[in-house]
Amino acid sequence: MAEESTGKSGRSNAFVVSARQRMFQKIAKTAGEGLLFAMASFVAVIVLFIFFFVARDAIPFFQLRGFTEFFTSSNWYPADEPGQFGALAIIYGSLMVTIGSALIAVPMGVAAAICLSDILPFSVRQYAKPVIEMLAAIPSVAFGFFALVVLAPLMQNSGGPMLMWAWWILVSPFLLLAVIVGSDLLTTSIPDEKRRHQAYLLFLALFGLIAVAFLFMVGSLLNGLQIITGTNALNVSIILSFMALPTIVSVSEDALQAVGRDIREGSYALGATRAETIIKTILPAASSGILAAVILGIMRALGETMVVWMASGNSSHIPEPWFNYLEAIRTLTATIAGDMGEADQVTGSARFHVLFAMGLLLLLLSFISNFVSERIVIRQRRILSGQ
Amino acid sequence: MNIGTRKILDRSFTAVGIGSIIVMAFALMVVVVPIVSNGIGAVFFTGTVEHRKMLRNEFQRGNVEHLASGVASSERYRARVYEILGTFEAELERMEPEKKRAYTSKYSQTRTALQALLGPLPGDRAPMLTRFKYGQTRWEKAGEKLHDLLYESKWDNSNAEIMGKEYFVSRATAFEGTSLAPLFPYIKGNIEKMLLPEFTVYWGFITDSSVDSHFFGGIWPEIQGTFFLAMGAMLFAFPLGVIAAVYFTEYARPGFLNSMLRSANSTLAGVPSIVFGMFGLAFFINTLKVSESKSVLAGSLTLAIMILPTIIRAAEEAILAVPKTYREASLSLGSTKWNTIATVILPAALPGILTGGVISLGRAAGETAPIIFTAAVSVGSAIGLADVLSSPTPALSWNIYNLASEHEAAAQIRHVQYGMVLALVTIVLLLNLSAIVLRARISKKLKA
Repeated sequence: MAEESTGKSGRSNAFVVSARQRMFQKIAKTAGEGLLFAMASFVAVIVLFIFFFVARDAIPFFQLRGFTEFFTSSNWYPADEPGQFGALAIIYGSLMVTIGSALIAVPMGVAAAICLSDILPFSVRQYAKPVIEMLAAIPSVAFGFFALVVLAPLMQNSGGPMLMWAWWILVSPFLLLAVIVGSDLLTTSIPDEKRRHQAYLLFLALFGLIAVAFLFMVGSLLNGLQIITGTNALNVSIILSFMALPTIVSVSEDALQAVGRDIREGSYALGATRAETIIKTILPAASSGILAAVILGIMRALGETMVVWMASGNSSHIPEPWFNYLEAIRTLTATIAGDMGEADQVTGSARFHVLFAMGLLLLLLSFISNFVSERIVIRQRRILSGQ
Repeated sequence: MNIGTRKILDRSFTAVGIGSIIVMAFALMVVVVPIVSNGIGAVFFTGTVEHRKMLRNEFQRGNVEHLASGVASSERYRARVYEILGTFEAELERMEPEKKRAYTSKYSQTRTALQALLGPLPGDRAPMLTRFKYGQTRWEKAGEKLHDLLYESKWDNSNAEIMGKEYFVSRATAFEGTSLAPLFPYIKGNIEKMLLPEFTVYWGFITDSSVDSHFFGGIWPEIQGTFFLAMGAMLFAFPLGVIAAVYFTEYARPGFLNSMLRSANSTLAGVPSIVFGMFGLAFFINTLKVSESKSVLAGSLTLAIMILPTIIRAAEEAILAVPKTYREASLSLGSTKWNTIATVILPAALPGILTGGVISLGRAAGETAPIIFTAAVSVGSAIGLADVLSSPTPALSWNIYNLASEHEAAAQIRHVQYGMVLALVTIVLLLNLSAIVLRARISKKLKA
C-alpha cells in the first residue's frame, strides 16, 4: 500500500496543485496516519497496562510474604490472623481441571476437525460449523448453571452407573478395534496363509475374551462407585471440555486445511486409505498447528471462571489420591472471583494482593502459551509454503 | 496388515470423526434442552390464586372481579382448615403438660408447612418479607409443599457406613386421635379448590422488576443492565476496533512494529476474563476513578477491552475480503486513498464488520467474570440512563450466578434461575444466529 495517494484531488483545478496545497495535503496525510496508528497501538498500550496494573498489585504480596509459601504450601486460610497463603492446592486444582478437560476435548476436538476438513461432504459441513459456533457462543455462566443444577445432582445420585455407561460406550469400540489390529499385527509375520488365518482367529478369540473381561471388570468397578459430591473436578472437566472444544476444532481445522491438496493426493496415489493418509501424512504435516490449537483450547479451560466457581466445590485441598477427579477442588480463577469481594475493603493487605498474584500467574501463563502457539503457527505456515 | 483390517480401520476412523461431531451436537442439546424446557416454565406455568393475589397487590395487575371470586371460593374451602386448627389449638390447651409439649412442636411444624402452602393463617402477625405474604404461587411447587405438609421428612443414620437415607413419616398418623387428624385428608382432597390452579402466561417475567430478591416478579432490571453493559462496551470498542482494523489492513507496513502490534492483539484475545475484571478494578476504578466504586461505565470499559481483539479481527477479515478490483477502480477514478477507504471499502466490508460486532455484542452480554468487580450488584432496581456513569447494575449473567449459588433459598426459585438463563442464552444465540445468517448472505453475494 505504498503507492502515492496524495495530490490530484483539488476540485477547482484538478491538474494544477500549488506547493502550499501539496504541503497541506502531506501534513494532513501524516497526521491522519499518525492518528490511525495511535488508535491501532491502543491495543498494545492496553496489554502493557494490564501487565503493569496487575503486577503493581501483585508485587506487594511477594514483598510481604515471599515466594516459598505461595508455591509450596497448601494451607489456604486468608481470613486467619495472621493469614496463611499457600496456593499450591489451588494451583494444582487449576492444573487438574485443565488437564482433565484437555484429556476429553483434545481427542474429540482433533477428530472432529479431521472430520470437518477431510471426511464430511461440504453440505454436511455447512451445518456442523454453526453447531460448533453455537457451542462457543453459550455464555460460561449458563454452562456453570448447567453444571451446578443439572449435572451435579445427576452425578451425585447416579454417578456410578453414568460412568459405567460412558465407559462402555466410549471404550468398548476402541478396545474391539485394538483387538482386531493387534491380532493382525501379531500374525503378519507368518508366511503360510492358511496358518496365518488360523493364528489370527485364535488371537482374536483370546484377546477378545481378555478385552471383554477387562471391560466388565472396570465397568462393574465404576458402577459401584459412590460419588460423595456432584460438584467435583470431573464435573468441571467435562463442562470445560465443551467450552474448549470449539477453539480446538476451529484452529486445528485451519491447520488441516493449510496442508495442501497435493500432499493428500500423493498419499492416495501410493495406495493409502483415507485413514492412513490422514494419520501418516496430514496429521504430521499439520501437527504444529494442531499443537497451537490444543494450547489455545487449554488456555480457555485454565482461564475460565464461572464454571469452576459454581461447580468445582471450592475446596482448597489436594485430592486423595492425587488423581481422584471425584473430589471437590478449587482453582485460581474461582479463588480470585470468590475472595475479591471480601478482600477489597482492606486494600493493601496481603489478602488483597495475593489475588493479584494469582491473576499475574494466570496472565503470565496465558501470555506464554499465546506466544508459543503464535510462533508455532508462523513456523508451520513458513514450512508449508516451502520457504 | 491385511486389506480387511485396513478397511475396518479406515471405516472406524471415519466413524470416530463423525461420532465426535455427533457427541458435540449432543452436548449442545444436553445443555440447551433442560435450559429451554425449564426456562419456559418461568413464563408459562400453572399459577394458583396466590399468584393472582400477588400480581394484584404488588403490580396492580389482573382482573379484579376474577380475583375476588377466586379468593372468595378458595376462602370457603379454607374456612374448614382454619376451623380444624382452631379446634385443635383449644384441645392443645386442655392437654396434660407432657402430651402438650410433645404435640406443640409437631403442631408448629405443621403450621409452618401450612403457611408455606396457603400463606398467612388467621391470627398470624403480618409477615415482614413479601415471600411470606403469599402461599404457593406455582402449582408444581404447591405439590411439593403439600408433600411437606402431609409427611415429615426424617433421616435414617442407623448405618454409619453409608450416607443417611431420607424417609417420610405421615403426619396424619402422628396426630392420630386428635382433632387435627381430619386436616390432612381434607387438604389432600381439597387442595385444588383452595388454590384454584389455572394455566398462566406471565409475560411480566420479562418486563417486571423483582419483588423480595426474585421470589416474585420478573427480571427486567437484569435484562436492562445487560443491555446497558453490552451496548456501552460496543460504543467504545466498535469504532476503535474498526479504525484499528483499517490501519492494520491499509496502512501498516510489515516490520517489527507491526508484528508487535499484532502479537499484542492476540495476547489481549487470550487474557483470561477474570484478569480483565481485576484490571478493570485496579485501573478504571482504583486508578482512573471513573466512578466511586462499581459502575456501568467501568464495566462497559472493561468489557470493551475484552471484545476489542474480536472486533479488530473480524473487521480485518471483512476488509481483506473486499475484492481488489473495487479498490483499483476507485483509485483509478482519481479518488484519494482515504476517500477510497471511506466511500468504497468500508461500505463494501460493512456487513462483515457488523457480523463481528454482533458476535462481540453477544460475548459482552454473556460474560460474567469481567463485571463481577466492576459493574454488577446482586439486588437492585432498574437504573435510568442517567445513572450509568455512577451506579452499578444487576445483570443477567451475574444474577444467574448469584441466584444459583449465593441466594439463601436458591432451591426454591429454580424457575427464576432457569428463566434468567434462558433469557441470556436466547439473547446470545439470537445475536449469533443473526451473525451466521448475515455471513451466509455475504458469502453468497461475493460468490455471485
